[in-house]
Amino acid sequence: MTRWERSVPVYGVPVLNRGFWGLLIVVVIGLVLSGFREVVGLGSGVSGMSDPFAWGLWKNFNVMVLTGLGSGGFAVGIAAWIFNRTRLHQVMRVALLTSFLAYSTGLTMLGIDVGRPWNFYWVFMPWHWNLASPLLEVAVCITFYATVPLLLENLPPLFEYLIYEFPKWRGFAESCEKALTKVYPYVIGLAYILPIMHQSSLGALMLLGGDRVHALWQTPCLPLIYVWAAAFLGYNCVVLCLLLAKVAWKRDIDPEVLAELNKLTCWVVFTWTAFRFLDILVRGKILFALIPSYFSCLFWIETILIAGSAYVLYSGKGKNLQTMFLAHCTCALGGMIYRFSPTTLAFRPRNGAFYFPTAIELLVSIGFMALAVLGYIVAVKKLAILPASNDDWLKMAKYEEQVKPGIQLTGYAPVEH
Amino acid sequence: MAMTRREAFKNLAKGSLPLLAAGCVSTVLPEVAHAEEVPMPKGALGLLYDATKCVGCKSCMVACNQANELAPDIRTDGLHQAPPALNSFTKNIIKLYRTADGSDHSYFKQQCMHCADPACMAACMFGGLRKDKETGIVWWNGSLCVGCRYCEIACPFHIPAFTWDGFNPKITKCELCRERLAKKLEPGCTTVCPTQAVIYGRREDLLKEAKRRIAASPGRYFENKVYGQVDGGGTQVLYLSRVAFGKLGLPELGEESIPERLKFQHKIYKWLALPAALYAGMVMFAGKNFKEHAHHLVEDQKKTGLRPQL
Repeated sequence: MTRWERSVPVYGVPVLNRGFWGLLIVVVIGLVLSGFREVVGLGSGVSGMSDPFAWGLWKNFNVMVLTGLGSGGFAVGIAAWIFNRTRLHQVMRVALLTSFLAYSTGLTMLGIDVGRPWNFYWVFMPWHWNLASPLLEVAVCITFYATVPLLLENLPPLFEYLIYEFPKWRGFAESCEKALTKVYPYVIGLAYILPIMHQSSLGALMLLGGDRVHALWQTPCLPLIYVWAAAFLGYNCVVLCLLLAKVAWKRDIDPEVLAELNKLTCWVVFTWTAFRFLDILVRGKILFALIPSYFSCLFWIETILIAGSAYVLYSGKGKNLQTMFLAHCTCALGGMIYRFSPTTLAFRPRNGAFYFPTAIELLVSIGFMALAVLGYIVAVKKLAILPASNDDWLKMAKYEEQVKPGIQLTGYAPVEH
Repeated sequence: MAMTRREAFKNLAKGSLPLLAAGCVSTVLPEVAHAEEVPMPKGALGLLYDATKCVGCKSCMVACNQANELAPDIRTDGLHQAPPALNSFTKNIIKLYRTADGSDHSYFKQQCMHCADPACMAACMFGGLRKDKETGIVWWNGSLCVGCRYCEIACPFHIPAFTWDGFNPKITKCELCRERLAKKLEPGCTTVCPTQAVIYGRREDLLKEAKRRIAASPGRYFENKVYGQVDGGGTQVLYLSRVAFGKLGLPELGEESIPERLKFQHKIYKWLALPAALYAGMVMFAGKNFKEHAHHLVEDQKKTGLRPQL
């Protein structure tokens, strides 16, 4: 138990360990297979998609679900910067890194999934935008979010790395950091408005799907319910990253910050669940949930996983770290199933076509997830991402100064400009 | 079969209620009962398919492939052009509806409906699918298509087809043989139909013809209705059928077009005013809290001597 005060890299652990090489193999398999897909197309065994079931795992899972899970940067950020929950600043770097990795791999997957990616350059020509299209909104917003505000928000740890490790670059990095500080409120404003827009538009995509989406999921409120689900998924992801850091690298835990994150998760989940039931009741579709069927099962699995986990967190049993970990796992699982349902699990074209991903689709999808995990592991070892105490920083500094003579991580004096 | 008094009353009520309602509507609100007109391009062209006239010869399918220079899709048995559904080789298909015991059957021609307010066009990111202002033909422009396949998700009739094989996929759908029309020729399918089950013309004239047929043989057509007149916001291809339209695979859409479902979104995004206001508010709060946070960072640095982290 400790108090998180600053971000400290994971030190004394080699980057190129067995886990790294294992993940790299998975990534390379995924990249090679996605290259194969570019040559032969999406048919003939490459994907399980068909004309009636035109979207598969790559869009529906890697983009729809995983960007939800990567919404930590916006969900934690709004709490920290807009609602002034100051303790949450300590976990912002973790949240931002997970967001960046989820969005950048998701965007790449989108490029691999579409059939004519060479035409994507129209996105830079606003006069060609069809503003009626929710997918246009998603494409523009995600591209803009991942390449401008999210990237800028992730720069400070990189600047810090340059400042400490490359004294030659120190002046440059510091002036960059200073410039970023000046525009920071404008950047973070964008970093919250853009996800609200595109996460809700991801829900709006399925409004055009009409009766293909089962009545329990198809609602005019789909955009709102989608962005709301992204919020608690973001909290789940950040808490899981922090708890896994304790397991993997024996990082200390700050119960105060975790309690705050748990509280936020609970309230977002409770209001989300209540709103979802209200929506189903108002639309008069509650019978679909009560009559036993595949869809009602799916609905209750989602609801129980999400709301049940939040109840466990709320009840005080969640103070135990193991219970907390499990509760966030099940809550995230439920949320991911929910985000996967309108496009896939509860999506039924009129002719009853069915979709199941092929091995290639699964391997490419897993490959890109592995790429994100790999990026995360390398980043937390090289950069100051994971939260720790000031004492931990001093310990790290002592260790690093022994290993790399000449490096100075304490006694910082600002450079005059 | 014996009928209790209660049942008799119930049936009487059931039977008379719609009559009564229809009577009220037709006397009080003769015009408002149905939106007879939907906004259409001036020179809207289309097809009228009368399922009661179709003999299922599939000549139109062959003619369609010839007119569009598409190879016949013989993948089903290696001999006949018998694709199971519309696909990247098939812009037009004749399907058969038949009850399990064979007591009732009807043919059904499926191709793009050329909607007044097409869902595919609303879905398309950069206008790869667009509606001709003059003729109302919905056509695909490959240089603006990203291949996202959202049109396939959005189309209520399951019309657009994607080329699943190969590195250069296309969206295949009926474009009413617009290149033949430019040469003053008729669409492929209507030139060969031996029974005139499918005819080509201006939508206005086609609708009149459909109404004429209904009036000439009352009770012949399902609900005495022209499908596409107002369905899904109106389509330029019109259908007449003896069998219920739903059984043929034409969905019940109501009079609202599919893109109308996004009208609330469009209100929110109008002029980007609401997002801009929200952004301004966020920058204001974030700016205030950022100042506070920066102050704390400086204080911490004084205390610990460690470089502040943003």
